[in-house]
Amino acid sequence: MKELLDTLLQDARVWQARHHTPASGHMELTGHAPLDHQLKGIGWPIGALTECFLEAAGIGELQLLLPLIRRQSKKDKFVFWLNPPHTPYAPALAREGVQLSQIVTLQTQRTADTLWALENCLRSPATGLVMAWCGYLQPRDIRKLQLAAEAGGGLCVLFRNPQAARNSSAAALRLELSPSRDRQLSIRILKCRGGGSVGDCTLPLADRAPTQEASLNCVVKGPWPEPPIPKHAP
Amino acid sequence: MLWLYIHFPNLLLECVSRDTNDQRPLVISEGWQGNVYQASPKAQQGGVRPGMRLKTAVNLVPELAIIEMDALFEQQALEAQARWLYRQAAHISLHPPSGLLAEVTSLKRLHGGLRPLWQRLEHEIRRRALTGQIATGLTPGAAQCLAQTNAGTCTEDADILTRNMQALGIEMAGLSAKATNRLAKLGLLTLGDVFKLSSHDIARRLEPETLHRLQQIQGTRPDLQTYWQPPHRFYQRIDFAYDIEHSTGLLFPLQRALAELEADLQWRQQDTDHLNLSFHHRNRADTSLALRTAGPEHRSTEFLALARIRLEQLNLDAPTQAMTLTVSRFIPRQHTTAVDLLGSGPCPDEAWQSLISRLQARLGEQAIRTLTCYPDHRPEKAWAPRTLERTAKPDVINGSDLPHRPLWLLRSPQTLHSPPRVWLSGPERISGGWWDGERVQRDYYIALLPSGQLAWLFRDAGGGWFIHGWFG
Repeated sequence: MKELLDTLLQDARVWQARHHTPASGHMELTGHAPLDHQLKGIGWPIGALTECFLEAAGIGELQLLLPLIRRQSKKDKFVFWLNPPHTPYAPALAREGVQLSQIVTLQTQRTADTLWALENCLRSPATGLVMAWCGYLQPRDIRKLQLAAEAGGGLCVLFRNPQAARNSSAAALRLELSPSRDRQLSIRILKCRGGGSVGDCTLPLADRAPTQEASLNCVVKGPWPEPPIPKHAP
Repeated sequence: MLWLYIHFPNLLLECVSRDTNDQRPLVISEGWQGNVYQASPKAQQGGVRPGMRLKTAVNLVPELAIIEMDALFEQQALEAQARWLYRQAAHISLHPPSGLLAEVTSLKRLHGGLRPLWQRLEHEIRRRALTGQIATGLTPGAAQCLAQTNAGTCTEDADILTRNMQALGIEMAGLSAKATNRLAKLGLLTLGDVFKLSSHDIARRLEPETLHRLQQIQGTRPDLQTYWQPPHRFYQRIDFAYDIEHSTGLLFPLQRALAELEADLQWRQQDTDHLNLSFHHRNRADTSLALRTAGPEHRSTEFLALARIRLEQLNLDAPTQAMTLTVSRFIPRQHTTAVDLLGSGPCPDEAWQSLISRLQARLGEQAIRTLTCYPDHRPEKAWAPRTLERTAKPDVINGSDLPHRPLWLLRSPQTLHSPPRVWLSGPERISGGWWDGERVQRDYYIALLPSGQLAWLFRDAGGGWFIHGWFG
């Protein structure tokens, strides 16, 4: 059996996934070493959909995309935020080096409009990245969006409810995001087209908020029964 | 000097009927009780003639569609023809209700002779689905008489033109009915007969206006023309033969108007970003619709794509009788340079403009925003949504000077219900706004909630705790 495998491995006609190197120059690395390692250097899929499943905002989901947003905005490509759950805070983005003139937020009322806007944004060559927070999407909608992304060659990240992760999807990359201890972001790769195995990784995103241990004893009593930290004595 | 006159015998009728697919017989009437002014070929087959009583016409052809004549519309239709003629000829004058006069001696070199110009004009008229009778003449009056008789030939030979003119009946000279009658009674039936008389004889028998007119046709008295200048705005009105009830049905007639606009903009070498459409209803206020493009544009296909998006959303309360397209804002055209020498790859600015125009048309201008920073300590005032306009220079913001803030800001602060798991930073007091009545005094903290979310919390002066942002 071993010899048989060895002869097969030496045969030039057999393509081995582990020797697969994606075409360089056409790659958008995530900018986070553990995730890039896990994705085997493929990075964010270009001209395809990425799905991120998360329960609630504030776990580091924007930090995950920030290197990409920064890069696209510097390249004078536009970054669309479609129906964001909260306001993208301009001073914070500017501080992170994102060019604000390239950030466009879109707000739609109806699902039909959402899909229409998403498809149009994806098909345009001016678009660098589309981030969309949509409600329920039909599998055929996802396929349609996937085709639009292929046509436009941009990147598209859909933020979705974790329940949707159970359904199959045409997206090229599917990540399940959840908070981990020490403010880390834990990522489970559910699907990665062309990247071989799926796995887990954890990104240390603790520095997304400043910490000042010294001043913490200043916290005053809250609406909860016991103060979490003793009240600051005047 | 050689003059060229174009007479449109059925201008009003053709302007109405060319934009409809309906093939019913059609007449234009002078008021609901009056006479038939113009009749379509279908109506003429049924025996309807211009000048006939409207009642008689309806009896002859019961399914007749009737449109009331509108002098203003006729004037506008003539001006629309003058606009394209102005592109071919410099000196033109309007002869309402249905004639245009152009001076062509100075144009022969430009067009390579009279025949190419003639063919050009015939082509332009055909392209607009109109009937036009062209004639040349040695005087404006002669050209007009020949065109109205449809006796024009493409020639600049003075002998032929004089002969043609002299063969015209006296009734075509545009004299008063009394004078025509008088001349006919004298046995003078053609213009040639009249011109044989001396002016002294004519002046003795007829009123001075008749003599003036005859002398102007003959060329012995100057016939001064007021030359027309195109107005600095684009206006096109389309009347429908039959009311249009669905907004998408307006697209087909709109196509012609937009093509006309594109030609006009091309000729002006200008762009526009603002189109006004107005739909006229019977006994109701007009519906108006403003089409805006994100950037200067001149292509009719782009305008049409935007109009399609807007019309799909538009609910017409009443059937539409007519539509007007007005453009009064013109922008000098800036020539975009292609990405490379061969022009391969679309210009990113153009792709951007077309995308934004479409999004704005479908979602509304309020739905599309870009962000900007504002120097204010209050978090909700430190940013502002901005409408999209493609400014040449984006504002330069030195990001490193800004304080550390969360990437998500809540639209309005939410009450904090359970105590945070870990306190990370704080307090940071933000106090301000006494100058504009929206005073805030808050102590901001950063804390990790039990759900794993990193929150930006504050405690206000009243002691309440709120979540104001997420470190996403």
